[in-house]
Amino acid sequence: MSLDNLHVDALVVGGGIAGMQSALDLGDQGFQVALVECEPSIGGKMITLSKVFPTLDCCSCITTPKMSAVAHHPNIKLFTYCDVQSVQEADGGYRVNLVQKPRYVDASKCTGCRECEYACPITVPSPFDRGLGAYRTIRVPFSTAVPQVAVLDMDYCILCGKCEKVCAAKAVDFNQQPEPFEIQASTLVVASGFELTPLGAKKEYGGGKLRNVIDPLMMERFLAPTGPYGRVLRPGDGKEPTSIAYVQCAGSRDTTLGIEYCSRVCCMYAIKQAMLISGALPLAEITIYYMDIRTFGKGYEQFYQNAQAMGVEFIRGKVASIREDDDQNPVVKVELTEEGRTIERTHDLVVLSLGMVPVPGSNTALNLPLGSDKFIAIPAPNASPCATAHPGIFVTGAAMGPMDIVDSIVTASSAAAAASAYIREHKKEAVYA
Amino acid sequence: MPENTPNPESPAPVEPEEIRVGVYTCHCGGNISHVVQCERVAKMVGKLANVAVSRTDPSFCSDAGQAIIEQDIKELGINRVVIGACAPSLHEQTFRGAVTRAGLNPYLYHHVGLREQDSWVHASDEEGATEKAMRLMAAGVAKARLLDPLDPIRLGAEKQALVIGGGVAGLRAALDIARQGIRVTLVEKSPFLGGRMAQLESIFPTDEKPRQLLHDLIQAVTAQVGITIFTQAEVTGVSGYVGNFSIQVTQHARGVSPEMAEALTAACTQETPDPFNYSLTRRKVIYQPYPGCYPAAPAVDWQHYDGQPIQVNGKSIVLQDDALVHELIAGAIVLATGFDPYEPRQGEYGYGELSQVITLPQLIRHMALVKNGETLTWNGHPVRSAAIIHCVGSRELDGVHEPQADGQVNNYCSRVCCTASLHTALEMRQRFPRLNIYELYQDIRAYGRGHEEIYRHTQNAAVRFVRYHGDDGPKVIAAPKGDPYPVLVQVKDYLTYGEEIEIPVDLVVLAVGMMPRQVDDLVNMLKISRGADRFLLEAHPKLRPVEMAVRGIILAGTAQGPMNIQESLAAASAAAAKAASLLSLGKVELPPFVARVDPAKCNGNGACVTACLEEGAIALQTFVENGVEVQRAVVTPANCTGCGACVGACPNRAIDVQAWTLAQYDAMVDAIAMDWPELVEVEK
Amino acid sequence: MSDQKNGTPSRGEVLKRLREAHGTTVERSQAMMKEQKQMQNAICQFIRETPKTVPEIAAEIGRPTHEVLWFVAALRKYGIVVEAGMCGDYPLYQRAKEVQV
Ligand SMILES: Cc1cc2nc3c(=O)[nH]c(=O)nc-3n(C[C@H](O)[C@H](O)[C@H](O)COP(=O)(O)OP(=O)(O)OC[C@H]3O[C@@H](n4cnc5c(N)ncnc54)[C@H](O)[C@@H]3O)c2cc1C
Ligand SMILES: Cc1cc2nc3c(=O)[nH]c(=O)nc-3n(C[C@H](O)[C@H](O)[C@H](O)COP(=O)(O)OP(=O)(O)OC[C@H]3O[C@@H](n4cnc5c(N)ncnc54)[C@H](O)[C@@H]3O)c2cc1C
Ligand code: SF4
Ligand code: SF4
Ligand code: SF4
Repeated sequence: MSLDNLHVDALVVGGGIAGMQSALDLGDQGFQVALVECEPSIGGKMITLSKVFPTLDCCSCITTPKMSAVAHHPNIKLFTYCDVQSVQEADGGYRVNLVQKPRYVDASKCTGCRECEYACPITVPSPFDRGLGAYRTIRVPFSTAVPQVAVLDMDYCILCGKCEKVCAAKAVDFNQQPEPFEIQASTLVVASGFELTPLGAKKEYGGGKLRNVIDPLMMERFLAPTGPYGRVLRPGDGKEPTSIAYVQCAGSRDTTLGIEYCSRVCCMYAIKQAMLISGALPLAEITIYYMDIRTFGKGYEQFYQNAQAMGVEFIRGKVASIREDDDQNPVVKVELTEEGRTIERTHDLVVLSLGMVPVPGSNTALNLPLGSDKFIAIPAPNASPCATAHPGIFVTGAAMGPMDIVDSIVTASSAAAAASAYIREHKKEAVYA
Repeated sequence: MPENTPNPESPAPVEPEEIRVGVYTCHCGGNISHVVQCERVAKMVGKLANVAVSRTDPSFCSDAGQAIIEQDIKELGINRVVIGACAPSLHEQTFRGAVTRAGLNPYLYHHVGLREQDSWVHASDEEGATEKAMRLMAAGVAKARLLDPLDPIRLGAEKQALVIGGGVAGLRAALDIARQGIRVTLVEKSPFLGGRMAQLESIFPTDEKPRQLLHDLIQAVTAQVGITIFTQAEVTGVSGYVGNFSIQVTQHARGVSPEMAEALTAACTQETPDPFNYSLTRRKVIYQPYPGCYPAAPAVDWQHYDGQPIQVNGKSIVLQDDALVHELIAGAIVLATGFDPYEPRQGEYGYGELSQVITLPQLIRHMALVKNGETLTWNGHPVRSAAIIHCVGSRELDGVHEPQADGQVNNYCSRVCCTASLHTALEMRQRFPRLNIYELYQDIRAYGRGHEEIYRHTQNAAVRFVRYHGDDGPKVIAAPKGDPYPVLVQVKDYLTYGEEIEIPVDLVVLAVGMMPRQVDDLVNMLKISRGADRFLLEAHPKLRPVEMAVRGIILAGTAQGPMNIQESLAAASAAAAKAASLLSLGKVELPPFVARVDPAKCNGNGACVTACLEEGAIALQTFVENGVEVQRAVVTPANCTGCGACVGACPNRAIDVQAWTLAQYDAMVDAIAMDWPELVEVEK
Repeated sequence: MSDQKNGTPSRGEVLKRLREAHGTTVERSQAMMKEQKQMQNAICQFIRETPKTVPEIAAEIGRPTHEVLWFVAALRKYGIVVEAGMCGDYPLYQRAKEVQV
């Protein structure tokens, strides 16, 4: 990869499903695209999921081919492990300053063989498994990562050089430095995605303190074939749970948290996980505590009805608090709003159906105006649904507010259409045969 | 240099290449390997003749998985590839790409659907599923030995698109396609553009004026180079295929010339219920739906015009519908035919029986007719209390709700009615402060950006919420004579712990869902499919969410399923991106799976021509063979769908579908039925 | 990326510079490695012959169950520990025979 100043038609920020789809749509039309991802691999949140609603396709079966298509596309240049430093208007487009963070591995030499990872003596929590799984200080971030290149985390390195010794490709390079570079782009597509509401945001629920109160991405990992335990266990003590509860709207629709909006996907992922758990642990009892079930998408209501038919228990109630009993079991105190009484129920494992919030800091360099929900503002949603307040900067996917994969892909193509029209009009290129 | 140059008359016999098959049994991220013992399958298949390598992987479709296959082709000289994985519809293209990158002809690869055909359907029988996988893979290998390199059919693509439907989605799609340098024809059935959005007064979540937004959009469309608009027009014929559809559009006459329009409209006396106001009012059969509509000129409602002369300036004029027929070509077709509000059955919540029961779209029109500052009345009586019932014609349950005309219940959520109801309730609260408003709902689905705020405002605006259960919905009855209110709504309210309550009201508003518009003719002409919900069906919700299975046909807006305006716009732009990707290069490639005639076996009996279901796909042509004129069947690949109807009809086994030849089928059947107990046992 | 440049510093210089720049994290990580080694050895020792559950291991080596699970998961990932059946609701883990640490 050359870091010389590069001119492209479009620069896409974020390599989740939305960013990848936008890049592919633009590339397919013959535009030159740069895709910038701050993590060592593209794939975003989606690549960490197990199976995806509403089709229950295996998630990597949908994501990995897209990742591969991006990597092989002749019109797409992929920049992973790069941070966007600043964006300025320049020459009728945008000048973007970036930094290639050091991997301490030469990407052009590394074959992804993982010898270094096996040799490395330090084990660290893997964010890919939400900290519940582990990898080594030098590692290929996950088995289907694109690119298949190792990355060394200097924060945990003891500089023992074992990785360097075992690397047949001579790819380990301790001399790497952060390398600033610049890309000039006619238009930007922002696809920086979302984060979950922090697990501990609502103190009453004990998230982050009680080991068996977990976030939903952890459950995605447990259900995935490559998950940290290879099966569904509770992280407190490795027990196979037989009673699992979901607390809906945990971290959404909650004015006390300052998150007033509905996160749109948590009803569906809770139902999906309930169905997948029923498959993995046929004897498990699954309860979903909810206020409103919002299965509004195409085919989603049917999905909800199927879950009810499978025996997933839906209880309308407000969860007031969660405590732990002496056996690490979470005890849920819930106000049954249809009956007017409050009960306590003990479960083996509780999943907080956390909402979606913007990625902290993802907008610092872009400096785009935000909506009251802190996601990137769309000034004219009913006219230009992907246009930000800055002409020539478009937004897609969960960066424009909570949305599921289908909606992310549709808005990604929509942002690509808006961006390509903008590029052509800039180049005065719309020629009619 | 070769020593002797081959005689050009008789080409040197091609050295039969050694067939080296690479076999790849994918775990499919557990989807297959949880049931099928992939390693055993791989080991067994590895022993078959010609198999040079047999491997497994958690997911061959990943970049690393594809790299393994590419490496084998390059380094082990693999020249036939068999992959046992998910459905070919999912990843055949992915693997063709990998095979091509490695320098092999992409059609020297065969895909075995181990997930759909095996692990998913035999989940409870690991042993049986594993043996079946072995047999399916062996059949794949048998076929692969006989694969020939093929070339895709390359066709020029017209850089023109057709958009059917001129609502907000169709308008946006047309604009965005034209902005990519592709000409667009927009065909709208009604005389005016804008669709259902024009019938709204103020839209969530922005409180904007929809007709103003439409006006801006239409202005952009009409100012855009490359867009032709036909109103009062319908597609009446389609032939061809992606890149080259031939389309016939029939356009009704506007019926009145611009000079005569005013006089004729004034003189016209025939009236009909006004669909713009959902029949709450009547209008003339020469009409404009609303001031500021586009095109501005009045049009004749041919469906309702009775053919009687209209007297103008002493002349008696009979309006004439001189329909025009336009022939067009287009490389891609965008369907933006929109939705109809659900029409409740006679008696459903009292609809059609009690005059006080109306639908939400009717209420919106009715409120538009009430002047600002006036009180809300219905049938001349002031409305003191109104109940909005959610989910009418949506979220219906089998065995609880009466089925629709086609025997199915509408079990989907229409997704806009919750927020539209809340938004309308808020407007009622503002304009009619003393009105009692009830919202009877199951779940409030205020999911979108800014929707939850509307819900909260409604809760703070003294709107009473009543929660009912879908299997025990509200009942609407006439109040006994002498009651202060004409109608009673009886419902079990789960916000007050299942208490039976009776709400006296002057007006019941049914928040009806969305149904797809009637498009049977288009469905038949284009040979496209609908889902169980009867909306037009996308090819795959995640991989191809706005494209249909028939290539070149793309979806925009509520023709595909319920959406709000923002979502319709996004889907329309996405459709434009797909049309542009398809057409901007000026050519398309079709798969080579078409019929091929072996002229040596064909005796020209023409059974194939009779059997063929496609227009212009196979025909007899006259050739001169040894000085004798003979008839031989000839296939036009672009028109052939590869259905194989001709193959079965030919008595001489002279026709094959490429990549699915009779010889290949024979080999596969032999392999599947093969006796091989020793192989299976060895593996145990 | 920079190895073509003239005046590439020697390996020793590079490591020295890194050691200076990352002194505190290197120290912290070295301490962490020691602890991890101990923990891993203790776990592997205990389950060398007989498979055990996470609570059993935790009771034996005197560490919290969640911490033990994390190590077991890590050891499992690198093939050092394998699952060996269930004991009630808890999976059993055993030291893999073939693999060296
Ligand atoms: C528990 C859970 C389960 C779910 N299950 C489903 C499901 O079954 N079906 C479904 O349809 N949806 C599901 N979803 C929703 C789905 O995850 C999202 O719709 C989807 O991931 C959004 O994709 P995205 O590309 O917009 O964002 P992301 O996946 O968040 O990707 C954003 C990318 O941008 C990168 N990035 C961020 N900031 C920057 C920056 N400044 N510079 C460079 N790169 C940056 C990130 O590293 C990331 O790679 C689920 C969500 C959760 C939380
Ligand atoms: C009561 C109600 C309130 C709503 N309020 C809001 C709101 O406040 N905010 C919001 O965002 N959304 C709202 N919506 C949703 C909004 O109306 C739709 O999202 C939008 O109108 C869909 O546009 P469309 O172009 O897909 O379909 P349509 O508006 O239905 O347009 C389809 C067009 O195609 C034409 N057509 C159909 N068949 C053919 C054919 N065979 N040949 C040629 N032309 C054809 C039709 O004549 C029509 O012009 C509301 C919906 C309802 C029912
Ligand atoms: S850095 Fe070396 S050892 Fe590590 S994965 Fe890359 S090539 Fe293999
Ligand atoms: S999607 Fe469901 S769980 Fe999530 S915030 Fe909305 S209503 Fe709550
Ligand atoms: S949006 Fe609301 S009213 Fe409409 S069908 Fe869905 S739940 Fe019912």
